Amino acid sequence: MTRILLKSRLDDCLGAWRTAGFSVLAPVKRNELTRFDEVQAASEIALDIVITERTIKEHFFLQTEPLIKYQISKKQIETEEMLPPERKRVFFGVRPCDAAGLDIDDPLFGWDYKDEYWFRRREGSVIVTIACSQADDFCMCTSVHLAPDSTKGSDLMLHPLRDGRGWQVVPHTDRGKALLEPVAPMLQEEVAETAPVPDVPVKFDLDKVSSWLSDPANFESNFWKEISQRCIGCGSCTYLCPTCHCFDIQDEGDTYNGIRRKNWDSCSFALFTMHTSGHNPRNTQSTRWRQRIMHKFNYYRGKFGVNSCSGCGRCTRQCPVDMGITETLHEISNLPR
Amino acid sequence: MIYNPFPMRVVSKREEAPGVRTLKIEFLKQEDHDFFKNHYRTGMFGLYGIYGEGESTFCVASPETRTDYIECTFRQSGRVTSTLADVDSGDIVTFRGPYGNRFPIEEFEGKNLLFIAGGIALPPTRSVIWSCLDQREKYRDVTIVYGARTVADLVYKHELEEWKQRGDVNLVLTVDPGGETPDWQDHVGFVPSVLEKVAPSPDNTVAVLCGPPIMIKFTLTALEKLGFSANNVYTTLENRMKCGVGKCGRCNVGSTYICKEGPVFTAEEVQAMPQHDL
Repeated sequence: MTRILLKSRLDDCLGAWRTAGFSVLAPVKRNELTRFDEVQAASEIALDIVITERTIKEHFFLQTEPLIKYQISKKQIETEEMLPPERKRVFFGVRPCDAAGLDIDDPLFGWDYKDEYWFRRREGSVIVTIACSQADDFCMCTSVHLAPDSTKGSDLMLHPLRDGRGWQVVPHTDRGKALLEPVAPMLQEEVAETAPVPDVPVKFDLDKVSSWLSDPANFESNFWKEISQRCIGCGSCTYLCPTCHCFDIQDEGDTYNGIRRKNWDSCSFALFTMHTSGHNPRNTQSTRWRQRIMHKFNYYRGKFGVNSCSGCGRCTRQCPVDMGITETLHEISNLPR
Repeated sequence: MIYNPFPMRVVSKREEAPGVRTLKIEFLKQEDHDFFKNHYRTGMFGLYGIYGEGESTFCVASPETRTDYIECTFRQSGRVTSTLADVDSGDIVTFRGPYGNRFPIEEFEGKNLLFIAGGIALPPTRSVIWSCLDQREKYRDVTIVYGARTVADLVYKHELEEWKQRGDVNLVLTVDPGGETPDWQDHVGFVPSVLEKVAPSPDNTVAVLCGPPIMIKFTLTALEKLGFSANNVYTTLENRMKCGVGKCGRCNVGSTYICKEGPVFTAEEVQAMPQHDL
């Protein structure tokens, strides 16, 4: 016997969560773009897509985040911290790779100095993942040792039933268990078979990649120049990545009134590391691409014990020049040693 | 909130050299000041800002032995520094920090100190110099080798005079060939060659070296020739920063975050970093 949520009860379920004070965000297709947004009814939810084009990251680490409102007059200064309101949110239908992405970024936003913007949103949110029942050619979760049904970052996981009527419901955290309380009347116990998870082929050997990247001699390898020649430095892969967290801080306003904001930035951009003197430690696209790969699969792991990649494949799926992390790591796995 | 800076009032402004200014700023709030006094150690850096323009990263140029105020010295070059250069006494600016690690000056006690700086890199060195000179009895011989492109480009001229006058500091000044004035009495030549000429003994000596990358490179070679080992030479690195607290993702050299693990490193540590990421 397992606990089942039928699709026909989903509307009641969303209603119960809203009554309990939650906003519900789910995958939607709006203005030709698939992303997570607030929904009122189950009919708005795009349940049949492999993965949304944009990640749920944008609801935790905002593309542009107001930090401080300032007002200066006659040598007096008034500032107001613009922390996000404490809101209870359910993210319904998150793919396991996107949920893992949040988990991967937690230590970065928390080490030593705690980023309150990230954690206030994290603490108010419950992540309801749906195990994948389909994958496309770009999915690569298995290559980074995750899976279409991995539970990393998930509070509550739904496993699609083989007959397509709904999902088996499995909580993984106390927060997930608590989320089931208001919807208990909509769940039922029955014997049901879950659908098999899709076969996602392994595209590179992560252990080989790790060992090649950790050899200091390879930092200067010509490989970096060759593999990155197509890169146009558009930054799409970083913005679409569930774990990329780099940002800039900019003031919007004038000397008297305005808002200091934290904006997404990208290691793909030449200005990212440029000194005022004109010196730029990473002054070519190949050194920037090397930084991106090294950061994700070497530096981050050294600092936080985990690679900064959850295998969603967006960097490759949506790259305008058909590049991406998958190809680079595949090539590294095949390099002679 | 970690990105919220301390409001500061400008106490005074000093012109050091063409385009180079020092601001003396003080805290508006007692609790901010207490935080600074409890945390600041020589070598740490901060983000200095002005609302509407943004923030820039430079060292705290004042020593840990004088924490009633903060001094910062910068060259007017970008948007933030150009605006900071224009402030008047009484204006409000901001400070975020102190961040990063420090020069371990307790470990320097009982040793000879050799300070070597080039151009605009005297400010971080000066913070360590005064931190040690304010407790002069703890250290043995103090030698300062400072060079700039021209006589006009030397910063802290009044303090150079003060160091020259006191009997317990050996000050060696130099300017690049062609940068001297008719009345210039000190050395003419690049820092590495002047250093070799002065030849300070490496015995029981710690060196603090700050300057542009090219000067660091040749000075390290000169120090090696004199018998200094790379783990007895300390330096400070800088890179573009936005957060200062290990999150914005740009100041790393290889796997090393300058903002969190630096900015102070031994020459040995710097040599172990991937040189093409510097």
